[in-house]
Amino acid sequence: MDGYFGSYVLVAALLAIGVAIVAGALLANRLLRPSRPTPDKLTTYECGVDPVGDGWAQSQVRYYVFTYLYVVFAVDAVFLFPWATVFDAPGYGLTTLVEMFVFLGFIALGIVYAWRKRVLTWT
Amino acid sequence: MIQQIDYFVIAPPLVLALAAGLVLLLDAFLPARPRTRGVLGLVTLAGVLVSLGFVVAQAAGGGTPRSTFCVPPSLADPATVQCSFVADRFTLVFAGMVLVAAVVVVLLSMAELAGGGIPVGEWYFLLLCTFVGAVTLPASRDLIMLVVALELVSLPVFALTALKRYDGRSSEAAVKLFVVSVVSTAVMLFGVSLLYGIAGTVFLSRLGAVFSGQVQAPGVALVQGELPAVGTVGVVLVVAGFAFKIAAVPFHSWAADVYQGAPVPVAALLSVISKAAGFAGLILVLVAALSGQAATWVPIIAVLAALTMTAGNLLALRQRSAVRLLAWSSVAQSGYILAPLAVTVTADGATAIGASMAYLVIYAAMNLGAFAVVMLVSKTTTRNELDDYRGLVFRRPAAGLALAFCLICLAGLPPGLAGLFAKVFVFRELVEGGSGWLALVMAVNTVIGLYYYAVWTARLFASAPEPGPVPEPAPRRTSPATLPAIGIAVAVAVLFSVAPQLVLDVTALSAFG
Repeated sequence: MDGYFGSYVLVAALLAIGVAIVAGALLANRLLRPSRPTPDKLTTYECGVDPVGDGWAQSQVRYYVFTYLYVVFAVDAVFLFPWATVFDAPGYGLTTLVEMFVFLGFIALGIVYAWRKRVLTWT
Repeated sequence: MIQQIDYFVIAPPLVLALAAGLVLLLDAFLPARPRTRGVLGLVTLAGVLVSLGFVVAQAAGGGTPRSTFCVPPSLADPATVQCSFVADRFTLVFAGMVLVAAVVVVLLSMAELAGGGIPVGEWYFLLLCTFVGAVTLPASRDLIMLVVALELVSLPVFALTALKRYDGRSSEAAVKLFVVSVVSTAVMLFGVSLLYGIAGTVFLSRLGAVFSGQVQAPGVALVQGELPAVGTVGVVLVVAGFAFKIAAVPFHSWAADVYQGAPVPVAALLSVISKAAGFAGLILVLVAALSGQAATWVPIIAVLAALTMTAGNLLALRQRSAVRLLAWSSVAQSGYILAPLAVTVTADGATAIGASMAYLVIYAAMNLGAFAVVMLVSKTTTRNELDDYRGLVFRRPAAGLALAFCLICLAGLPPGLAGLFAKVFVFRELVEGGSGWLALVMAVNTVIGLYYYAVWTARLFASAPEPGPVPEPAPRRTSPATLPAIGIAVAVAVLFSVAPQLVLDVTALSAFG
């Protein structure tokens, strides 16, 4: 059991314990409780409000543009944070500062484009 | 600590990237008038030509490879040079070929976009992004750069395929291409991660040193130059990822549907530029990084090549649509290009790679010529089937003869000497390399291929169809841009037919530095 795959035994054991706890709780519940269903009890529970519509509700497709714009900023952040920690360290300098703004300029191109294509106006 | 960047070396992709940004801005700020379409097309063309100029300037600057984005000497192991971007002859040949093909594709795009209905700014922007990737890829010398560049080639093509909106076939093609490409990227990334896990480096030069046993691997020890099993898995997965991109069997099934659904310029792009990028990546990984493990991948490549050429040719036999036939024929041609890689043994395989590259360069010229004529015909017919080409030589002598020449080239028959020489290069490498059986498979396939190329060529010269219920289609608005596109492609094919030594000289010496 030692060796490479041996270390996964712990994971498997944990998984088995987890399944046993959940299944055991549900089983105990079923054995102990009385079963007297009414139509009200059988409706889907949704924060105490009566459920509206069915499960395959569609979300408005036009939001995808905002998701894209969010991704633009998220990618920005991924590169900005590590850069912010080093750009004034010795060995780096003005070049490092300028390079990041060149990158930001390229990213901003996407925003400018979205603005000109009237993506940012809400109609 | 700051890397010095040699801007002259990265100028070709840089110019293309700046042109892409410029096109996007011009599209956003210029008034939406028909003239704007022409302006954007010309800006794109100018960007490609300037980039090509830089490639030519680098080639003229001497044979010494120039590199940039290197690991500083203070941090690197002195045993190997570790650079991410190298412009040697291999890079320049591929970049030059991609950019000349790009000129043809841009010209075809001008004809495609003249009809309206496709957003022009987005089209050219995406097209330029693909070119950036295809020019960067052969210069990449580390795995991360390679994957990013390959994705840059692939991602815009999904959107380009789908840009013909409200067209069912086009959308279907885009979804198929997207799914196949994403899966292949995932497969390849997994393989790349395994290779990195073994060698502890992403630089191809260092990977090459580790896998040939010159440098001790930090991860797993090589037992007498043998990879552990996990390394074999990594090699197979990486090869499989690239096999998707070049539409090699068993990852070929997307080709016909995607080529048929996509606009014709995009099909041309897929069959030449995207394929060239895939081959560049495959050659780089196999020869620069894994040459020490040739025993693992040579049989795989040999079987892939044999299957690919056979399946492509057999499927092409039954096609009635011109674009589908070209799609399967380009799968078959992929097999011929793959074949010399299967005799590349160890680092001494420079000449065999030369045969692959020579075939690829010649294939690019003749295939683009065929696609350009198909583009011309597709404007006047709706179905674009082989029967629509009946009597083309009499209706439009220039286009008809150009297509006939390109098809004969693709078949490898005497008037089209370029195709014949390309096949001879490959045969010679196969026989000299001791892969007689592969040469035999290829010979049989060449004969099978003759049939469908000959059938199509014969239709071109057949008497014109009797005026049926639908006479000559009225809309003959041929864009002026198609003719120079045909001209360039055919001129290059004729040049290679007259002086095949040109290709050999350029490609044979392109060993890596």
